Amino acid sequence: MAEELSADFVVVGSGICGALVAMVLAQRGASVIMLEAGPRVERAQLVANFRNSPRRSDWMSPYPFSPWAPHPVYRPEDNEHLVQAGPYPYPAEYIRMVGGSTWHWAALAWRNVPNDMRMHSLYGVGVDWPFDYDELDPYYQWAEELMGVAGDGDEHPESPRSQPYPMEPVAEPWAMRRIRERLAGTYRVASNPVARNSRTFDRRPACCGSNNCQPICPVDAQYHGGIAAAAAEAAGVRLISSAVVYKLEHDSQDRIVAAHYYDPERNSYRVTGGTFVVAANGIETPRLLLMSTSDRFPSGIANRTDMVGRHLMDHPSTSLTFDADEDLWLGRGPQSPSSISALRDGPFREDYSGYRLDFTNISRVDSTTQRLLLEGVYGPEFERRLRHSAAREMSVKTVLEVLPRPENRIALSSRKDALGLPRPQAHYDIDTYTRRGAENALWHFRRIAELMGGSNLRFSDENAFANNQHICGTTSMGEDPNISVCDGWGRTHDHDNLFLVGTGVLPTAGTANSTLTAVAVALRSVDAMLPAEQGSAAEQRGS
Amino acid sequence: MSGRSVRRVLATLSGALLLLGTVAAAQGQGQDDARPGPGEYAAILGDCVACHTAPGGEPFAGGLKLATPLGDIVATNITPSEAGIGNYTLEQFDAAVRRGVRADGKRLYPAMPYTAYAKVSDEDIAAMYEWFMNEVPPSDYQPPATELPFPFSVRLSLAVWNFMFLDDEPFTPDPSQTEQWNRGAYLTQGLTHCGTCHTPRNLLMAEQQSRFLAGGAVGPWEAPDITSNPRTGIGEWSIEELVEYMKTGNTPRSQAAGPMAEVVDHSLRYATEADLEAIAVYLQTVPASAGVQHERAVHEWGEAGNNLAAIRGERLPGDPRDWTGAQLYDAYCAACHRASGQGTADGVMPALFNNTATGREYTNNLALVILNGIHWVGEGHDMHMPGFAHELTDLQIATLSNHVLEMYGNPDARVTIEQVAALRGGTAQAQGQPNLLRLTRLGIAAGFVLVLAVVWLMLRRKLIRT
Repeated sequence: MAEELSADFVVVGSGICGALVAMVLAQRGASVIMLEAGPRVERAQLVANFRNSPRRSDWMSPYPFSPWAPHPVYRPEDNEHLVQAGPYPYPAEYIRMVGGSTWHWAALAWRNVPNDMRMHSLYGVGVDWPFDYDELDPYYQWAEELMGVAGDGDEHPESPRSQPYPMEPVAEPWAMRRIRERLAGTYRVASNPVARNSRTFDRRPACCGSNNCQPICPVDAQYHGGIAAAAAEAAGVRLISSAVVYKLEHDSQDRIVAAHYYDPERNSYRVTGGTFVVAANGIETPRLLLMSTSDRFPSGIANRTDMVGRHLMDHPSTSLTFDADEDLWLGRGPQSPSSISALRDGPFREDYSGYRLDFTNISRVDSTTQRLLLEGVYGPEFERRLRHSAAREMSVKTVLEVLPRPENRIALSSRKDALGLPRPQAHYDIDTYTRRGAENALWHFRRIAELMGGSNLRFSDENAFANNQHICGTTSMGEDPNISVCDGWGRTHDHDNLFLVGTGVLPTAGTANSTLTAVAVALRSVDAMLPAEQGSAAEQRGS
Repeated sequence: MSGRSVRRVLATLSGALLLLGTVAAAQGQGQDDARPGPGEYAAILGDCVACHTAPGGEPFAGGLKLATPLGDIVATNITPSEAGIGNYTLEQFDAAVRRGVRADGKRLYPAMPYTAYAKVSDEDIAAMYEWFMNEVPPSDYQPPATELPFPFSVRLSLAVWNFMFLDDEPFTPDPSQTEQWNRGAYLTQGLTHCGTCHTPRNLLMAEQQSRFLAGGAVGPWEAPDITSNPRTGIGEWSIEELVEYMKTGNTPRSQAAGPMAEVVDHSLRYATEADLEAIAVYLQTVPASAGVQHERAVHEWGEAGNNLAAIRGERLPGDPRDWTGAQLYDAYCAACHRASGQGTADGVMPALFNNTATGREYTNNLALVILNGIHWVGEGHDMHMPGFAHELTDLQIATLSNHVLEMYGNPDARVTIEQVAALRGGTAQAQGQPNLLRLTRLGIAAGFVLVLAVVWLMLRRKLIRT
């Protein structure tokens, strides 16, 4: 090895959480090396990939996986990176590239509702968080300002805030306005808080309504991890890409002393540091900890109580698609603009899951075309039916809560990837708590269709839950080491100088898309990573 | 201005706009009673804030470095404080603004457009003085002094320059023209000092009045011909279009960028409709620039089209340096300017054809916009184009620019890699700008030789006579 790789902080993973933590550490004067398994990627390359893809509706098609650092892809065929152990399939998607999985998201930046963090004491299910919502509020605000979140606090009393959103909401698409107006009096339809510019912000333009937030915003109006990684590098972080960390090494005091990585040719490198931060997402983080075995830790790093990889959670969705009795023309503006939040919390959570009701705004042209072609429709009839569906078809879906259950987990498969590393393996099921939530939503689905004058109602199959790629819980925070991996600061119970950040540390999933909460929690963890005299990161921000 | 200082100017003035913001808000609501008084209005049209406020600095407290071919000229503090113009009498204020003479008798560099302000009326000067002395918050900020190389460090040399080039007669109305025309002429020649950028300069950096508004330069930016020339100027523009351009910086055939975007952003958009119309009426009568007769007008090139058939389904080259112009356009530009360069139907994102941005022979402005984007700092304006300096290499910007020119603009115009590199590095100058320092030093040397020669001749004659 030509040079010694060493820094005050070694961050594994360059996604939105790892990159922002690395950026803040560097801004506070620390030396930071950030290791990313995947390659560097240019935004324009992704835009070009998307425009050039023959499979536009496959949102992973612009994100090819690297042989040395694969991520799961399922189309046109399953690359089987994430091995399915059942009983219910868990076809999670994430991206191993510089910037991570938020290259590809709808930018929904929901906060939790306060009760999401007190599930056990309030409702007797799940767990309580090691800190409460008020404690997180300033970090939420900081995250929202870094990411440029557009929203209207008055529309979201369910998630109290002490400061306004940094940007006013993105313009409401026509379809969402009509849905809001026609449901008024029965349901309050509110604009989603989104990390998407409603005006020029951070030298990036406002949303221009391309309606392809996923797979990639073509004008960079939407925040993503690539922006965070660039900011980290600008702050002085040294980013090494195509560096697949496969082992964390500890000393006799159980402190982590080095991260070992392979380059694509399987040459091995050793990176030493003072403090280690693993931010490699809810599947790859537990995978790395489980792979890092030694005589002293035969079942892996931070895994003395066998909690690493357990409590896997996501947000399953059920849906209703129908034709409204007026033209709505979905597809103008961003893909996911509005929701109903009324069912996210309530005493019913003792019995069944809370959920958010989300109105999609994805253009129906592509899906209808594919359906009609399959049905063999052509000619004037094709045009008539395409026009009808494009104008009138709409959908509402649930975003359901999942409880943390130890049997839902990420483990190591006996199958190996190209570098000879064990692939991650998902053990997953949808329990009756979540299924009862989905049943409860059927009544609201029907009521919404009724209010929209709906016909041709098509419910998703009873046992078909779509996955939302909000991979949480697998390296959970908690005060009790018997049911958690790290403490409320992300510091692992077993290793003083090993911190975990990302969605994996969230103890409950709630009904909020996990990114914003993970970023806020990660920023809060910076306070524990830096010496105490440097003060709270939230107080120092902007310095 | 160099690219860097342009960016600095672009990034600046949020503080200054606190002052102007109140004006903007009031005008946005169309409330006449909140209109600025005559002094503030004159200062807005004069765009004093643009140069006399540093990035993030207090309004009018100076400190902005204006890059010139001679070196940086630092704008002074013009707030009513000890560090500024607090002790100036009206006469001293007048001498500085209209004749370029400071209260201490020293000459101002003509980066201060006093040659244009010389046309401003006594009333407007007095009103501005009142406003600056009584309404502008004083600041004690001391900007660094301007230090230019010899001989320009000798400010007395400017007395000679002024003798040669300063016409200090205030504007005299032309009785054969309408009142509207005269108002327009008064503003254009005076307060709004359009000629400062749009009139070409001679070897000694003085505006060539015989070629008034025929096109000049600001650092690397080309300030286009805005005479009545129908091909290269605004001869084919309607009054409404000209007013729209000055008010919004955005018309289908041309959009303000760089220093002109600043002028619209800080100054012109606050002007009254009547004044903008007057300027437009006057501009239409400015004698057409002479020179090469072009085949087409600068806003008549190109048409909608694309090369998508050639690139769809083709594997993208792994190395982005090998991407074609069409591939770069598809990835970076098409989302806003649309697949065929047609822009958006509402005109917010302009079409790239029939657009002066792609129709001119000189291409610095096009490359600079791709590098740095278009940014507005004023309130209530969203017009914006992101810059791509951080994403695209010099080669890629040249390839992309040439694709855009071939596809949508003047195919004879070219952007070279070296040109982009110079623009990115801030070392570029607009085409045809003299190297003033070298020329002047040469001139001084030549003058010295001439004097010696004359002395020698006279001595010889004397000797011969005796």
